[in-house]
Amino acid sequence: VTIHLSIILFLPLATGFIGAFLPRGLARWAVLAGTVAVLAYAILLLADFDSGGGLQYVTDDEWIPELGIRYQLGVDGLNLFMVVLTALAWVPCTLVAALRDRERPKLFFFHMALAETAVLGAFMAQDLALFIVFFDLMLVPFYFMIGGWGTGDRVRATTKFVIYTLAGSLLMLAGAIALGVLSTPEGGEISFSLAELQRRSVSEGTQQWIVLLFALAFFVKAPLFPLHGWVPETYRSTPIVTLALLGGVLSKVGVYGFLRIVLPVMPEGAQHWQELFVVMAVFSILYGSVLAFSQDNVRLVVAYSSIAQLGFIVLGIFAFDDKGAQGAVLQMLNHGLVVVPLFLIIGVIVARAGGSESLSELGGLAFRAPVLATLFLIVAFATLAMPGSANFVGELLVLFGSYEDKFVYGLVASAGVVLAAVYTIRVFQRTMHNRPGAAVASREIGRIDLAAVVPLVAVIVALGVYPNFVVDRTERATTASIEEARNVSQAVASR
Amino acid sequence: VSATSYGWLVLAFPLAGMLVNTFGWRVLPGRLPGWIACAAIFGAFLAAIGALVEIQDRPEDARSLVDSAWTYVATGDVNVDVAILIDPLSVFMCLVVSGVSFLIHVYSVAYMGGDRGYTRYFAYLNYFVFSMLLLVLAANFVLLIVGWAFVGAASYLLISFWYRRSTATHAGIKAFVMNVIGDVALVIAAFLLLDKTGSLEYSGVFEQAGEVFAPNDSTLVAACLLILVGAFAKSAQLPLHTWLPDAMEGPTPVSALIHAATMVTAGVYLIARTHPLFELAPAAADVSAIIGTATLLFAATVALAVTDLKRTIAYSTISQIGYMVLGVSVFAYGAGLFHLMTHAFFKALLFMGAGSVISAMGGIQDMDRMGGFRRAMPFTFVAFLCGALALAAFPLTSGFFSKDEILAFTIARGGWYWALAIAGYAGALLTAFYAFRMVFRVFWGDPVPEARELEQGHLAHHPPANPASGEAEDTDVGFPAEEHHIAEREWPMRTAMGPLALLAIVAGALQIPGVTDVVEHFLAPTFEDSRFHDTAPTEGAELIGLAVGAVISLLGITGAYVAYVRRRGVTLQLRDRYRRVHAFLVNKWYFDELYDAVFVRPLATAGAFGRGVIETDFVQGFIVGGSTGIVRVGTSFARAIQTGYLRGYALLLLVGVAALALYFLLNSS
Repeated sequence: VTIHLSIILFLPLATGFIGAFLPRGLARWAVLAGTVAVLAYAILLLADFDSGGGLQYVTDDEWIPELGIRYQLGVDGLNLFMVVLTALAWVPCTLVAALRDRERPKLFFFHMALAETAVLGAFMAQDLALFIVFFDLMLVPFYFMIGGWGTGDRVRATTKFVIYTLAGSLLMLAGAIALGVLSTPEGGEISFSLAELQRRSVSEGTQQWIVLLFALAFFVKAPLFPLHGWVPETYRSTPIVTLALLGGVLSKVGVYGFLRIVLPVMPEGAQHWQELFVVMAVFSILYGSVLAFSQDNVRLVVAYSSIAQLGFIVLGIFAFDDKGAQGAVLQMLNHGLVVVPLFLIIGVIVARAGGSESLSELGGLAFRAPVLATLFLIVAFATLAMPGSANFVGELLVLFGSYEDKFVYGLVASAGVVLAAVYTIRVFQRTMHNRPGAAVASREIGRIDLAAVVPLVAVIVALGVYPNFVVDRTERATTASIEEARNVSQAVASR
Repeated sequence: VSATSYGWLVLAFPLAGMLVNTFGWRVLPGRLPGWIACAAIFGAFLAAIGALVEIQDRPEDARSLVDSAWTYVATGDVNVDVAILIDPLSVFMCLVVSGVSFLIHVYSVAYMGGDRGYTRYFAYLNYFVFSMLLLVLAANFVLLIVGWAFVGAASYLLISFWYRRSTATHAGIKAFVMNVIGDVALVIAAFLLLDKTGSLEYSGVFEQAGEVFAPNDSTLVAACLLILVGAFAKSAQLPLHTWLPDAMEGPTPVSALIHAATMVTAGVYLIARTHPLFELAPAAADVSAIIGTATLLFAATVALAVTDLKRTIAYSTISQIGYMVLGVSVFAYGAGLFHLMTHAFFKALLFMGAGSVISAMGGIQDMDRMGGFRRAMPFTFVAFLCGALALAAFPLTSGFFSKDEILAFTIARGGWYWALAIAGYAGALLTAFYAFRMVFRVFWGDPVPEARELEQGHLAHHPPANPASGEAEDTDVGFPAEEHHIAEREWPMRTAMGPLALLAIVAGALQIPGVTDVVEHFLAPTFEDSRFHDTAPTEGAELIGLAVGAVISLLGITGAYVAYVRRRGVTLQLRDRYRRVHAFLVNKWYFDELYDAVFVRPLATAGAFGRGVIETDFVQGFIVGGSTGIVRVGTSFARAIQTGYLRGYALLLLVGVAALALYFLLNSS
């Protein structure tokens, strides 16, 4: 039992509190220092990680014993890179945010810090109730950041965002409570510990409806068609640094939940809905892609492309195949790694165009901003999963996994790969190439933005060269996560 | 130094060149970036020679070496290394690619001299060569796909190099998407092979294939057809060819390098590389042979009609690759690859000559406006003529021997392959005709004003305009370069064209029936396992074929001479008489229009439908509408109690859930 994860978990929040007592101008630096410290800690964690071991750095304390809720944290192959991604994403976003003046900076950075703690908590929690606490806690800072610092029709955006995610959360909460109660054996103690829940059993019929409740919450968060109604307005209104985190990191919590909770604890229930979820995933891939290339707002292109990308991840998970799940885990990291710089770059581009986010008014930036164009190009190629990027390896494994058992769905999903090329290159061209838009002032990317984007691009390139770095560390946990569900699915198939 | 070390060096040089130019773009002066890029490619060429020498020292049955550097991805049955394969085929390809690339780099140093994107250009060019070499050196299907996609990306970047032109960016995206279609097909093919053979390595797949697949096994045929989709997308074969003519939007040396000499022949390489599979699936090979033949005829007819000089050469490329595809698909590997090599020489040369002419025309590419450049540009003329002779398979030139060998092999297969060979000869007649249509229209006749100016030493400059659309150029940023460079005045251009002109004429000496057999003998170890050794044509048959080829070539050239020199205007009469046929050809058999109607517009409609109907009515209307309806009730309630509706709503919900939770918990104990 160690305290490391608790330090990582509460460090951001602590700096947020410290910042509250500092002078106006200094709060941001305190929070930034906190994110950097978390990143350093996460890198140490990564270096020290034992790819052959199971759950590591476990913290396990009583929290609310009456309800069987424990303060249980741990890191294994499933969430190791999610923790690293979170730490890695928060630094550049905080950095870029710190350099822009905005109203009530103390409050804003407190929310940034709180958000990091919440997301880390959701990723590291090994107790279902704790997971839900953090899952819902994530909502709070994002709600305030969108509502308080957003642009455009932010009231409408926050309304939708909150209703959707809250409705999802509440359904999941109900499901979790039911799971805890119903799995308690006669005369036993109630427990929400995931390891314990995995040992206990719930009848197949019960599993089915509980899985559905969880899935609703996770699909809203992901987002997947048709539960993405909150996406367009939220993506349009959210401050860009917050959006980078929302699209890059938060979207992974939902799909992570499938691997951490749903598949190991309720394999029969997951198997029951497999077909439906695979269809939803494949449809999301096509639907998100087609809509992505018919959007004019540059943020919405990324929004819909994320729906498609998350579709790939869900497809990989619900293929119930080792390769597919491995690809999904890799893709969870990769997608976060491209979306964060993508939004930071979009922030720079939009600033060059006098605030316009319309593709028809952008263009021609590359000439005086070759560095910006090059960085964007690399990120764009990774986004469309060009072979040579780690995203390609992820997608390849997802497709291989889906071909294995769901060949036709896999083939349809493959069309999404082609469509991704269309909408990604379209955005690149419409912003960087062609004639400059009327209001576009072509200037090179600034130093701070450069400092924020370059490390992320470097990680993208490095993983493209050596994707096995991730695969090697995640393989064990991934295989274990889907093992039960796969066995059930094979048993059903042979029946 | 071992052969595989040389192999890694082949890759390292262009990569290093790219990195130097990428990071040094701000400080490298003048033409230095170009020379750095040239040096990098020359290094790769020398390393390829090193590899050649090394493997020639080894016994014939030990000339296939694999060296793996690190694990790329290993999970489950997917086990892929970053590994290269050195064997006669890959070394052959490395030599052709790096050798021709080097000359094209040298040409570019001058040709792109005044361009504002000079350093970027050479970084892209080196990146391309690196990718192409990765493609040919890859030892497994995954790395092949990586190289495959990289060359597609490099091609995209270079096609839309002059990115202020909307035609260039449009052509770029078209090429990229077509290439991605090919990538996806290869991914699916790789899965099918992995699923059955348990391996993604060439050696593993080929070894297992013979055991797990019966001849013409349906999975294997499917995999081979998917490989063909990939090959045809890259090699611009029917029906995936439409991107290549548009790719002529790129700078002319790019057309020479990527869209004639190297990248577009990757499909031919791929079929040759996977020949053990195609030999087990002759049905797929036959499909390939038929499509290759259809393509060579189709593209030759279009090349008769289009008037854009570069696009004529582009259609010629499509047609010539059709010959190569035919060759490797009837298992005439040596012949197909020999044609790949000679074509790289003469087609790169033709593009270089065309580039020189287009420069002299001040950027105009339309042959209708050209003529009489013979005296004004003697060097360009001679070089272009050498290329055209080889393309027309004029007796004793390189194209004469290589094309003939393919057709002789096809005949030797017997049966219905005869029909393919006859179609091939018909294509040869058209080829000779359109090759000299270019020569006579550009260099013969009365000198156009630009040619006359040039005779007096002045280079023509027109107000910069996009040759494809007529749109005025965005001169604000200064590219494409306003200055124009022609071979007559630039020694690097002449230095590059000279050797290619020589090779276009004499390279046939490597493979003269009954006399020399250098290429085929060198490649023999790779194709040793072929079951079709015995179908090679007899010497007599080959000589007869050569005679027929010579007659056809001379006929075609004479025809062009009559039509464009002796009786000028006869083609105009023909055009007026057969307007429909002409329109059909000039519009390239309406493939673009077809794809537009079948793919592009439906997708756009689907997007509009998704945005306009599904998003607004279903997602926002039905799903959101339902929930907002609930909210509205809550809102009015919340307003009433003055707490700000959202917070109130959230609070109420939380309270409600807490109550629910409490109920469950109380019930449980």
